[in-house]
Amino acid sequence: MTQSERESKSFCKAMFAGNIAQDVISPFPEMDAEEKENLNLILTSLRQFAKDNVDSAEIDRSGEIPKEVLEGMAEMGLFGMSIPEAYGGYGFSVTAYNRVFEEVAAIDASLAVTFGAHQSIGLKALILHGTEEQKKKFLPQLASGEKFAAFALTEPGAGSDAAGIKTTAVKNGDHYILNGNKIWITNGGFAHFFTVFAKTEMENGEQKITAFAVTRDMEGFSSGKEEEKLGIHGSSTTEINFDNIKVPAENVIGPLGKGFKVAMEVLNSGRLGLAAGCLGGVKKLLQMSAEHAKNRQQFNTPIAKFEMIQEKITAMAVDAFALESMVYMTTGLVDRGDVDYSIESAVCKVYASEAIWRAIDHGMQVAGGIGYSKEYSYERALRDARINLIFEGANEILRSFIALSGMQEHGEYLKTVGKALKNPLSELGVITDFAIHRIKSYVSSDRFDDVHDSLSSEVGKYEEYVKELHSCVEKALTKYRKDIIHQGFILERIADMTIDLFGMAAVISRLDGMLKAGNPTKVKRELTLGKLFCEEAWRRIRRNSRQVTNNADNLRREVANDVYEFNGYNLDLMG
Amino acid sequence: MKIIVCLKQVPVKDSLLKIKDDETWVHEDDLSYEINESDHYALETALRLKEEHGGEVVILTMGADRVREAIKQGLAKGAERAIHINNESFTTIDSNINAKILAAAIKTEQPDLILTGLQTDDYGSAQTGVILAEYLGLPHAGIVMEIQKQEGSIKVKRELESGWFQSVELPMPALLTIQSGINQLRYATIKGIMMAKKKEIKQPTLSDLGLSESDVAPGSSSLKFQKIYVPKKTKQTQFFEGDPKDIASQLVDKLRNEAKVF
Repeated sequence: MTQSERESKSFCKAMFAGNIAQDVISPFPEMDAEEKENLNLILTSLRQFAKDNVDSAEIDRSGEIPKEVLEGMAEMGLFGMSIPEAYGGYGFSVTAYNRVFEEVAAIDASLAVTFGAHQSIGLKALILHGTEEQKKKFLPQLASGEKFAAFALTEPGAGSDAAGIKTTAVKNGDHYILNGNKIWITNGGFAHFFTVFAKTEMENGEQKITAFAVTRDMEGFSSGKEEEKLGIHGSSTTEINFDNIKVPAENVIGPLGKGFKVAMEVLNSGRLGLAAGCLGGVKKLLQMSAEHAKNRQQFNTPIAKFEMIQEKITAMAVDAFALESMVYMTTGLVDRGDVDYSIESAVCKVYASEAIWRAIDHGMQVAGGIGYSKEYSYERALRDARINLIFEGANEILRSFIALSGMQEHGEYLKTVGKALKNPLSELGVITDFAIHRIKSYVSSDRFDDVHDSLSSEVGKYEEYVKELHSCVEKALTKYRKDIIHQGFILERIADMTIDLFGMAAVISRLDGMLKAGNPTKVKRELTLGKLFCEEAWRRIRRNSRQVTNNADNLRREVANDVYEFNGYNLDLMG
Repeated sequence: MKIIVCLKQVPVKDSLLKIKDDETWVHEDDLSYEINESDHYALETALRLKEEHGGEVVILTMGADRVREAIKQGLAKGAERAIHINNESFTTIDSNINAKILAAAIKTEQPDLILTGLQTDDYGSAQTGVILAEYLGLPHAGIVMEIQKQEGSIKVKRELESGWFQSVELPMPALLTIQSGINQLRYATIKGIMMAKKKEIKQPTLSDLGLSESDVAPGSSSLKFQKIYVPKKTKQTQFFEGDPKDIASQLVDKLRNEAKVF
């Protein structure tokens, strides 16, 4: 399989063309038995370690993760899980790494953010694109946890518009002179190794982004004071500055001028970690809420019995099940290695970050007054969870990415819409990796075949709404043509349809595998959760699809414009 | 020094237990398992003795396939090898039969020391260790908190009631049942976990051990489970009514004549 064929094999992109690439998602990915056994041992050990050593309330209060906690995790080998064995790590699959990450996040959000900034994104570029020398030089110390890594892309003027970075690296003999500054750098206060993105001049004079390996001990490197944040208090977030740093030319990671692609690849995989972390949080909140609901009595009845409480508990459980299916479906795709999972990982990130936000909202409501008290952990969870909707690609930019990347692959329409769509995201300056490839290398049809009979109604709805997505995309592209990139209201609906459809596909694939593998009575709980998710998902999809053509968007635009014009509400009933 | 540690896998401590219809045991399908707490301390103690004095630690366990996870955990923490007597029916047998099977496996090993947990968190009878010592004809000490190795013997500190301790010297080989909480348990590292896959797990059959199915069948047990049940709540709350003086005298009457606290 060629590189382009590999990249063009994408389940979600196929859905935009009305196709169901069943060979990509079915059977549901399964971990090999030996890795599963090792993973369970790691999880047991990690849980015990956390129980004995991690005090999240104290981490939140003090704003620091105790040195002993990081040292203990380092000793367990957790910081090198995903690093290949040849460089001092353990070479676990992406699925196993993310399952551990899920657990770390359930233990403590600050710890998860620190862990993820190091391993999900900080050192990832080295693994994906580092030279043999770079890997040998940097990875062993990062694997042992002796040193930490960080990922440095964001700048004051370049957040979602990552292509707009101003940091420069100017070639000077056998090195580059690096100047600029980066903000919101997780692990910025103590990391030793930084994957830094800077503009370099190409032979043709063009300014392109290149990735560099930068270390704290380089002259001219400095980091700023710790940011005071709403949550994840134990994690380090600082500015970092480069003042005429001499970076050896051999520290360029990946091809010169291809740093944007490197960054996007790293973030595609990093977003999955974030999604797995949110899953850990949702599961933990669900456990806390269920326990509270069963124990709290009002009107001589445990509040668990009241249906308005059950509605919240159910919503959290359904989210956990769907998210778990989506995340581990996608990590399975990454491990499989021959598919493009960029849309899927963005889908997971958006769904996950919103699921944990819904979960904390429900959890706090179930808890009532105590949820609002600092004595309990709900308020900390609320503060910790909010960042997930913002970092590693704000959900708005990721929704644009999901919708526009999917449309790019919309083969026949590309021809009619013309060249403008070939690179739509660059006009938005969106951080994305958007190689243009036609869908051709996989078996696809508009049917989800040979699925267990118990799922026939869900499969029917799924097939119906994949067609509907295709039809919505056609309508939108016919109407807006290249201006589609500015139609945020429409893009959001198409992205939300994609998210729910991928959720349905992942849930159906998971349930189908379980039903075929064994005794259907043992799958009862999963089947109920999955069916409920599908039921709710297709209703959301139907609503979104109707609103692609029939909506109140003009009124929305008008309201927004009025508010901007009057700098706020500016109406007074009594005035 | 060769040390055998007997490990049992038991349901995780805060499990929600559902009693089976025949009321002889709990439903096991939805349960998660862990190493019995005091056995875990026995393993830690054995590993520390080995690290100080050299030798090897051998894990001995019995039970269904699922106990493999407990074995792997022990191997990942540093035990050299394991013996797993694999049989589904072992979960419902009594301490005497447990000890008989364990003794048969230990006889082929000639260890210097055998460590078991003080008691298991499921049945909690605290019998297997001491009966095992009897089957093997070895000296034993129970509720052990500290072990000092001497030339050909060991000196141990035992916990007695009411904060009393006892110091005992035993010739080796000997069997000790270990108290929980006597040291800090180590955490399995990924390195240890990866190394565990290369370590031997021997699975002798009953006939390899010179035993037959009838020796271990639940019917051969001298102990029969009649019923397990969740304790019934028997506490009663009584509210006194009247003015404070009346209430006080009613309370004093109850405390004196019913509760007999003074």
